[in-house]
Amino acid sequence: MKLAEFIISPILAFIIGIFLMGLSRRIMARIHRRYGPPLMQPVIDLVKLFSQRTVSHGPIFDIGVILSLAGTIALILFIPFGGMCPLEASGGLLVILYIMLFAPLGLALSGGEGANPNISIGISRKFILSLGYEVPFILIVLAVMTYYHTISAVDVVKAQSSFHWALFSLPLFLPGLAYILIIPAMLGIRPFDLASAPQEISSGPMAEYGGKYLALAEIEHAFSIFITIALFVDMFLGGSGNVVYFFLKVLVVFIIGLLINAVFPRFRTEQAVKFLWKWPSVMALAGLVIVLAI
Amino acid sequence: MSLEMLLVIAFGGAFLTYLLGKLSPVLRDILAVLLTLVILAIVALFYGRTGESSFMNFLGFNLSLRINTLSWLFAIAVATLGSLSTIFSLSYMKGKERLDFYYLMMLIVNASMLGIVFSGDLISFYVFWEIMSWGTFLLISYNRGPALAAGLKYIVMSIVGSTAYLLGMFSLYASYSTFNIADIASRISTASPGYLLSVLVLFSITFGIKNALVPLHTWLPDAHSEAPSPFSAVLSGILIKMGTYGFVISMYVLVGIKALSHLGHGILSFHFMLAILAAVTILVPTFIALMQDDAKRVLAWSSIAQVGYIILGIAIGTSLGFAGGMFHFLNHASFKALLFMAIGAVEYRTGTRDLNSLGGIIKKMPFTFMMTLIGALGLIGFPLTNGFVSKWLIYKTLILGKDPFLAFVALFGTWGTILYAYKILHNIFMGQLPEEYKGVEEAPFSMKFPMVILSIIIILFGILPGIPLKVINVIGVSLGFKSLAVNIWGIASDTGALNTINIFSAILVSWIVVWLIFKAAPTSLRVEQDNNYAAGSYVPTGRYLYTANFYAPVYRIIKPYVIDVVDIFYMALAGAVRTLCDWTRRMYTGELGSYVMYIMLFLAVLITMRLGFNIW
Repeated sequence: MKLAEFIISPILAFIIGIFLMGLSRRIMARIHRRYGPPLMQPVIDLVKLFSQRTVSHGPIFDIGVILSLAGTIALILFIPFGGMCPLEASGGLLVILYIMLFAPLGLALSGGEGANPNISIGISRKFILSLGYEVPFILIVLAVMTYYHTISAVDVVKAQSSFHWALFSLPLFLPGLAYILIIPAMLGIRPFDLASAPQEISSGPMAEYGGKYLALAEIEHAFSIFITIALFVDMFLGGSGNVVYFFLKVLVVFIIGLLINAVFPRFRTEQAVKFLWKWPSVMALAGLVIVLAI
Repeated sequence: MSLEMLLVIAFGGAFLTYLLGKLSPVLRDILAVLLTLVILAIVALFYGRTGESSFMNFLGFNLSLRINTLSWLFAIAVATLGSLSTIFSLSYMKGKERLDFYYLMMLIVNASMLGIVFSGDLISFYVFWEIMSWGTFLLISYNRGPALAAGLKYIVMSIVGSTAYLLGMFSLYASYSTFNIADIASRISTASPGYLLSVLVLFSITFGIKNALVPLHTWLPDAHSEAPSPFSAVLSGILIKMGTYGFVISMYVLVGIKALSHLGHGILSFHFMLAILAAVTILVPTFIALMQDDAKRVLAWSSIAQVGYIILGIAIGTSLGFAGGMFHFLNHASFKALLFMAIGAVEYRTGTRDLNSLGGIIKKMPFTFMMTLIGALGLIGFPLTNGFVSKWLIYKTLILGKDPFLAFVALFGTWGTILYAYKILHNIFMGQLPEEYKGVEEAPFSMKFPMVILSIIIILFGILPGIPLKVINVIGVSLGFKSLAVNIWGIASDTGALNTINIFSAILVSWIVVWLIFKAAPTSLRVEQDNNYAAGSYVPTGRYLYTANFYAPVYRIIKPYVIDVVDIFYMALAGAVRTLCDWTRRMYTGELGSYVMYIMLFLAVLITMRLGFNIW
């Protein structure tokens, strides 16, 4: 049973992530009064990309992109998801916080060997943005861990069983809202798509990618969408023992986030950092203070 | 083999090396390396030994050497880094002048560090401490010029620290009439908290200066960047950790964990104050490091910040925190030494370490790149490196100890670390290779070898952290901490366990899966660096740097807030003292007449006071 989870959870996460990617393009299109591509478009793209030949700039160019996706897949195993958490006793939320590093670092290393000026600019922006959203994110995770007095993600989910959702508890309400505000920054989607701005710096770190490199990066993005939102569901919406319920919770959060962010233009780098260090951080900090005071 | 013999070999060998250098430089190099290896072997054989022996009677005081697991752990780190940096020196220092002197000082500093950790009483500790300080001063100023100023700054601060140490030492002697650490420790528990606090504060000044704890850190950035690279590795890797050793000795051996817990309570306790200083030491230097353009200066500021983590773990004073702090000391010794050596290798080949002019060297020095990468990952605390485990222990202590704000500083500091660690990687190795570095070669073997050993240590301790943690656990138990449930793969606990083997296998399996997918897709075509995509416009090649001023938007935001106020204050103080002295010097005109006049004036004042006010 446990062994099956190691295979099932990444595959489910992949399917959900790809579905959300397709869905987001549809919803965006409808907001823009377009028809939009079919729901299966990301899958079609992947098949196309994997069949194309492309160029490489060297060994680290290859290793980086593999590392980025491998780290993200490994991360799935640490996240409680529909009653499954294959690696629950391996370091908890602190490890999750760190394994989330694999993806940006892998892409940065890979892009770095590409020696394209757009890549350097994109990487610099990506790291600055991550410095921006990590402030509220760390505060949020700390508030949750301090409130439940554990560093284990599974224990956090357990403590919220029978509808004691953290989002609707007094101390963790503000951190929950702050998390919703930083989701687009963590995913690098609008209004925080400054690192991969296609019109400005030709997709930044991914400027040199084509074919299988782009495909792996896209898969990584699909996983990240799922992970970022699943972490929110686990920490604030009580997770779920059932895969279907879990998926529904993820879907609701995703669509809310999408509706809010579909209409915003892109931030400049400094604006993004200043925004992230202001509102979400203050909210998360207030939550942490309330947690300590109680 | 006794401890005295080891120190005789270490010091005697150093002078022998100097003399041999007058005969033949080759023999000198061989002897230096052999000597450090012999010392390493002897120290390794001391594993598990405990004991104390008196070696000299000085003015009626018994001077003694003692060994236990705590001193062994520090000694093995000293011996390892000593031999690796000596090997690294072989090619790095080749062709430089005053080499006999360089090796002599290098070996003496190593020997004196061994003396410090094996000292059983406060006097021998002080003697070895001074030998180390002066040896370090001579090595820092080896390059002359700006290095001389850096060395001077170091030695002035060091002397302030030594003075504080002497005060503490004699105050302890006045109370207990002995210098022996164990004797004092057994009788100190009855002392008043106020007295203990004053002794601890005096020792904290001494060890805080060596350990570069904010606000006593200002000597370090100059010293680390001006010293020769192999010595920077020793300096940052182990020498500043002598301060850490001092903190452990004064807090947990001398005063003891029980008496320490009575020194104030809540926020106003010695523990907590030290922890707050450590948090400041993490936060500000991390962001100063981010803004540096000299690779070694980045690493120097980073050393200060990482020391903050070590002291934070030790200051919190739970068994988990202590283990985290001690483990982080070992880890910092390995990855920071590796990084200094890698930067040294780059400097050796390219002649510069300016982050705004290098780039693309990965194509020429792929091996050095891999080493820098491993060192940088350890510095960040990336999973599967040793830095991850020690930082995990520290975070967990802070979170479960209800100190989330300290935990926030520690975690946020880590994200700052990611930025500057990646800046080093990117600006030196990534991006476009400038024309002038097209002919650069890979580092020579004597540089590669120490780097490989250090990178193996980083990864081995990251995947199997139980190896050092078991030793650290023994130390913790001997100091009165609760024993930890240490396994070879990490730590078991009911509030969240750590299992590095699981993390390792998860990443390995995912890696294999992704790699298979990657291999199954059509193979890609290798292209040159100029052959890249720019959306139809022309990407200029050659002298056009895209990595200069790498994090400009962040610099603009943080620049007004990140200033080394302490250094500015000290420099202003030094300036004021100098003005005062200059002014005083004008009194000395060199004419006999004016001196006679001073004497007469003074006598006149005395007589007036005696007659007019009748005060005595």
